[in-house]
Amino acid sequence: MLTAVKPAFSVGEFLRAEARRLREWMAQRDAGLVGFCVAAVVVGAGLYGAAMGSWREPLQSLYTGIKLPLAILLTTLGNGLLNGMLAPLLGLNVTLRQSLGLVLFGFAVTAVILGALSPVALFLVWNTPPLNAATQLTSPEYGFLQLALAVFIAVAGVTGCARLWPLLREWAGNAQIGGRVLFAWLATNLFLGSQVCWVLRPFLWDPAGPPRFIGREYLHGSFFETVFEAARRLIF
Amino acid sequence: MNMNPPLPVPPQIPPPGYGPRPLGDDPAERVPITNPIAAIEAILRQPRRLMYSLRQPGAGGLIAGMLFVAVVCSLIYGVVVGSFSGHEQWWAAPVKISVGLLISTLICLPSLYIFACLSGSQARLAEMFGLVAGLLMLMTLLLVGFAPVAWLFSQSTEHVAWMGALHLLFWFVATIFGVRFLNAAFAHSNARSSAGLNTWIVIFMLVMLQMSAALRPLIGRSEEFLPSASEKKFFLSHWADCMDASYKHRSRGND
Amino acid sequence: MTAQATISNPPALGTLLSGEAKTLAGWAGQFESRRFAFHIAVIVVGAGCYGAAMGWWRAPMQALFVGIKFPLIILLTTLGNALLNAMLAPLLGLNISLRQSLLAVLMSFAITAAILGAFSPLLAFVVWNTPPMTPDVKSTTAYALIKLLHVVVIAFAGIAGNVRLFQLLAQLGGSRRVAQRVLLAWLAVNLFLGSQLTWIARPFIGAPRLPVVFLREHALSSNFFENVFQTLDWLVSPEPPNQPGQKP
Repeated sequence: MLTAVKPAFSVGEFLRAEARRLREWMAQRDAGLVGFCVAAVVVGAGLYGAAMGSWREPLQSLYTGIKLPLAILLTTLGNGLLNGMLAPLLGLNVTLRQSLGLVLFGFAVTAVILGALSPVALFLVWNTPPLNAATQLTSPEYGFLQLALAVFIAVAGVTGCARLWPLLREWAGNAQIGGRVLFAWLATNLFLGSQVCWVLRPFLWDPAGPPRFIGREYLHGSFFETVFEAARRLIF
Repeated sequence: MNMNPPLPVPPQIPPPGYGPRPLGDDPAERVPITNPIAAIEAILRQPRRLMYSLRQPGAGGLIAGMLFVAVVCSLIYGVVVGSFSGHEQWWAAPVKISVGLLISTLICLPSLYIFACLSGSQARLAEMFGLVAGLLMLMTLLLVGFAPVAWLFSQSTEHVAWMGALHLLFWFVATIFGVRFLNAAFAHSNARSSAGLNTWIVIFMLVMLQMSAALRPLIGRSEEFLPSASEKKFFLSHWADCMDASYKHRSRGND
Repeated sequence: MTAQATISNPPALGTLLSGEAKTLAGWAGQFESRRFAFHIAVIVVGAGCYGAAMGWWRAPMQALFVGIKFPLIILLTTLGNALLNAMLAPLLGLNISLRQSLLAVLMSFAITAAILGAFSPLLAFVVWNTPPMTPDVKSTTAYALIKLLHVVVIAFAGIAGNVRLFQLLAQLGGSRRVAQRVLLAWLAVNLFLGSQLTWIARPFIGAPRLPVVFLREHALSSNFFENVFQTLDWLVSPEPPNQPGQKP
């Protein structure tokens, strides 16, 4: 049954839109779409972040509810210029504003899914044995929660990319170019995104002390340095 | 001499939902569903009529009726579940099962709507809610059908793990039929793919299973109405503990 | 004579056994208390006679008990699953009512019971020719033979009843595929409930070391599938932890 199309962007309209329709919205420089995408990231990722942080305490819930959308928006903006340059270099003729809009669209879809999954995440957190003095970073409940919440993020992320892919293909008029651009954007976003998340941690829990929005020590080191160091210790 | 002229063959139930025929094509499908009994009849015999009715304005009454049937049926099945232990479980099990089902549905409803939209489905949120209410109604109706069997087993076994496995089996069969209805309805909503719905079905089933562990005990007895915060467990670990306890019980029984 | 006439004719065992699908479909579609009572009577008499022959080897009282229990199991299975069977049929594509599904299952059980009843004199003759039960009866050839004979006769009667039920379902639904699905689902749920009822209603043949009783003292303390699972557990477990008679 067809839903009556409202003038503003509704969640349903946004998610159902075909690639051609989305392209038209982007080409028309529709400020409403950008506003909607930003709102979707703030609300969707915010709700999911709040559910994540609620395992520790309400203050952590508030912090993660702010940090998760912030990480997404910072990644989008931080890579805006690079993504805007990579796209034409790889054969997709889009402006800087359009590339920013496309990346934001992918993230907005991801955030809407995360928002929809936030009751499930909250239920999962509620079912996890609570933090106590005996909880360690190696505790199974902590590991399970991390894994389950990461799986939800992965499902949402993959779906976001899957929605962006037909849009890029439609825009490029060529699946190969669309694929190349998507791959390049994914790589740069993953690269910056993981470091932004590293800086903004903890999202769930930090055994070192009380909840803080960003601790000073988190600006020391990097995600990749830590991964490299861990790999070096493992091999040598 | 042919003594048996052909008897009227009852109309065949078409495969639920699939096929090019739009909903409401058959005038019988456009007959309004006015009460919960008609809704029960429709979901069993004319699922397309129910799907059509859910798309009409003012389907709220129908949805409320289906939820009412689901609550009543889950209370009935809950009494059978509680009959294993008796005592406070006579009322605790029905309340927990009924509330657990409703909360599981509410937890999963937003993700169903989002996944449906991503699949291109044109269904509104209210319609989605109606379809899930239909799923719940069909599930609980079938559970009531299983109730005599479940009651017999609950009177003739002493092992909680066995009863748990049996209730799980009945729940699984009932859920399969409920999901079939949802899939059929989904096929009529112009969805491009059913991948989103299938993902949601997995999430919904996992949430329901976890709910059974979160609201334990449903079958056996405990001093607490609900497990304390320190006793929280995931359903797989709860099952493993139950199996372990049952195995020890059997071993002790032969001492 | 028309089909209507056949349908409304007094119920006859021959008509039931000949299993004219159209006639049976007519019977299922039209409730008639006299016909309903006839089907129940066939079950009570047929399965009752067979049960009596089964229990007679142990003692006349055992014959009476099994003669009551056997039809009771059939009727309780039919009634216990009536609602479920009625819901499964339309969900699997066969648009029949609760009354129709109940009558269809009852008719198939009546056919099975009639065949069992027909075999009961044969079984009684075999039992009469078998030496009386001794304490070590379970290790004798006679016991094995009688058990095997029961399995063969009950299986034959069950298959015959289900073949008739399949034909009836195909007639009611107009499709063999749908009939197959419904029959399979009904068989599964009836077997599930029936096996547990049979387990509760033990003993049937009886054991010489145990007293003749209607139900065993601990009839309700375990279930059939649990027992099967335990048996499998003992078979596959290299060191059975709780084999009967073996203390851990």
